[in-house]
Amino acid sequence: MSYKEEMYCSKSHEYVVKEDNKYVIGLTDYAIEQLGDIVFLELPSVGDEFEKGETFANIESVKAASEIYMPISGKIVEVNEELPDAPEKLNEDCYEGGWLVKIESDAPESEFDDLLTYDDYKSELE
Amino acid sequence: MVKQTYLHEKHINLGAKMVDFAGWHMPVQYTSIIEEHKTVRENVGVFDVSHMGEVFISGNDATAFLNKVVPQCIDKLPYEKAVYCQLTKENGGLVDDLIIYKLGIENYLIICNASRIDEDVNWLSINQKGYDVEIDNQSHNYSLIAIQGPKAINLMNKMGYDIENQKSFTIKSATLEGIKLLVSRTGYTGEDGFEILVENELAEFIWDKILERGQEFGIKPIGLGARDTLRLEAGLHLYGNDLDETTTPIEADLGWSVPKDKMCEYNGKQVIMDQIKNGTQRKLIGLEMLDKNIPRHEYEVYFLGEKVGKVTSGGIAPTAGKNIAMAYVKNLAEICTDSTVQVMIREKLHDAKVVKRPFIQKRNRV
Repeated sequence: MSYKEEMYCSKSHEYVVKEDNKYVIGLTDYAIEQLGDIVFLELPSVGDEFEKGETFANIESVKAASEIYMPISGKIVEVNEELPDAPEKLNEDCYEGGWLVKIESDAPESEFDDLLTYDDYKSELE
Repeated sequence: MVKQTYLHEKHINLGAKMVDFAGWHMPVQYTSIIEEHKTVRENVGVFDVSHMGEVFISGNDATAFLNKVVPQCIDKLPYEKAVYCQLTKENGGLVDDLIIYKLGIENYLIICNASRIDEDVNWLSINQKGYDVEIDNQSHNYSLIAIQGPKAINLMNKMGYDIENQKSFTIKSATLEGIKLLVSRTGYTGEDGFEILVENELAEFIWDKILERGQEFGIKPIGLGARDTLRLEAGLHLYGNDLDETTTPIEADLGWSVPKDKMCEYNGKQVIMDQIKNGTQRKLIGLEMLDKNIPRHEYEVYFLGEKVGKVTSGGIAPTAGKNIAMAYVKNLAEICTDSTVQVMIREKLHDAKVVKRPFIQKRNRV
């Protein structure tokens, strides 16, 4: 799977990418670059359900604390369990090894309306 | 209009991430705050701190005048010595914290916080009445470059620094790269190091030389991000966070910088002496988190279910490997070293141990 080709990005810098019948959610490389050294990550538990736009995780860099929002609604079915113990790994890879959670979602199409392809997301930032 | 130091272009070319700080466009990091922090603890780093203020005080009454505006005994300050002190108000609150250097007979240099230059000069002018003294704000004419870390001395020697055994907290007229300038053995990191006062026109030359000669010692330019983690780990206060016009030196745990036997009057003496004798309502403490959560500026502190204060500076301590904070709390005897308080983080209480500052072993005394 090529993340950057297949993923959709929110304006708050989360990405979502379909993997079989699940969706993988994480933070874009741009977001990680802006945050700098990641030193804390708090992920939800499997089974937790969130609406689109709700805070599902917390991340902190040396400088600041930020919230991470659901790009689409869904139920957590898997979390990247090793990451909270080594959040600095996000600075190296926020995709293959650095995804945050996987969800099951029956979100309506309309929830994707405000999400952008990686290319559009990048050009929007410039 | 945001101001730029004479080294601004250097920072841009080094790829620094820039931020607005105290009215200046300054580098917050060049590569990684943690990497920069470790460079200063293990090798040597160079900082552009030209935003800081330089105010010269001279005239027949210079000593008497400074004695009136700070709690320290300026009359006892030897030639070429530096002393950390605070500009106090009548209520004991602080206009700023600063270092005063004795350059000669009735001739002093004040180095103060960038964000407070105008307030300081204004406050000094207000207090000037009746004193034969000149207050000369030269902040715009000088750049200040700090070299900090265990290998700072090696780098200085490499640059032709011609002073032997300069003691900490002294300032000397020295030669560096063939240029006569003022070098003080001070800093804001808890490490040994130097601060170099250089005329603006020579700032780029000295900066480039430092980076060039520093190569073999593993030098890196260090941004304000690491400057903050370094000073916090060293337990040093930041004006605006840990000190302001409502905090007294005694509340701020700066009693060590307030002589008990100073004879002459100074602004706020009555309040400060009363607090030394009878105690304060609140006190500054050091905290070390007992879980992975990070305490930050403005987070609330609880003790036995009661809100007792606030974190004023907090964050990670990369060298100590802990999450630490300085906080003001109600002055309860039960809140003492090794006792446990809680910090409210994301609407949950997290345990923190009260610890002594600094959070690391300081190595700046030479």
